[in-house]
Amino acid sequence: MREVVPAGRLRRALTEPLLPVPVLALLAVAAAALDATVLCWAAVGALAGFSLSGSV
Amino acid sequence: MLFSPGWRANVRQGEVLAVFALGLLLGGVLSGAVVWVLSGLAAPLPDTARTVSILLVAAVGVARELGWVTVPLPQNARQIPQEVLQFRLRRGALQFGFEMGTGVRTYVSASAPYVLALGLLLSHQGLGACLAVGAAFGAGRALSSALTFWARDPDRDAAIGARMPWIRNATALTALTALALLSAL
Repeated sequence: MREVVPAGRLRRALTEPLLPVPVLALLAVAAAALDATVLCWAAVGALAGFSLSGSV
Repeated sequence: MLFSPGWRANVRQGEVLAVFALGLLLGGVLSGAVVWVLSGLAAPLPDTARTVSILLVAAVGVARELGWVTVPLPQNARQIPQEVLQFRLRRGALQFGFEMGTGVRTYVSASAPYVLALGLLLSHQGLGACLAVGAAFGAGRALSSALTFWARDPDRDAAIGARMPWIRNATALTALTALALLSAL
């Protein structure tokens, strides 16, 4: 079995499970405000997929 | 978890993640296509009725996540069999990802995927839009697995579990806000 190198502070920050939520939420709302319908739905779709985190 | 540290198989974990993510995208695209076909049923409805229905569904999604209402979800309460991954890891990961990407093969405990599917169905978008949204759904699921892989955190399961209520609440609220804004413009 390969040795697991402990994650550093930057890696921990960049892989924080909450991080994608504000990014995608901002994208969804901004796309809606700009009337970019498909982008808005796609951002909501990505969020919906991400909201099922934790299963694998 | 499949992408947690402690990998022992002779296939590289990153390779399995890539194949799994491809499966998720393909599964999402298939579901997007099915939603597009079904959305034809909503086409005869007046625009106002469709908009109000979408916002109502999104509002129920928020209320359910916040624990204000109890709505039983029509989920497929079965796990994908472990044997899928036991023999041919790459092909198994592709199948596993595809089945999860469709969103109908296993547990879907959050409200947002239902809001997404019903909203997309009621809004009657074009085929390209439905496929793109399906792919985005798969990408969202893949992002979660990719972050688990990159995190190299043995306690990742607990970290995700602790944040799940926030993730689900924020997702439901975002869906309602964005769709309300979209329909107001």
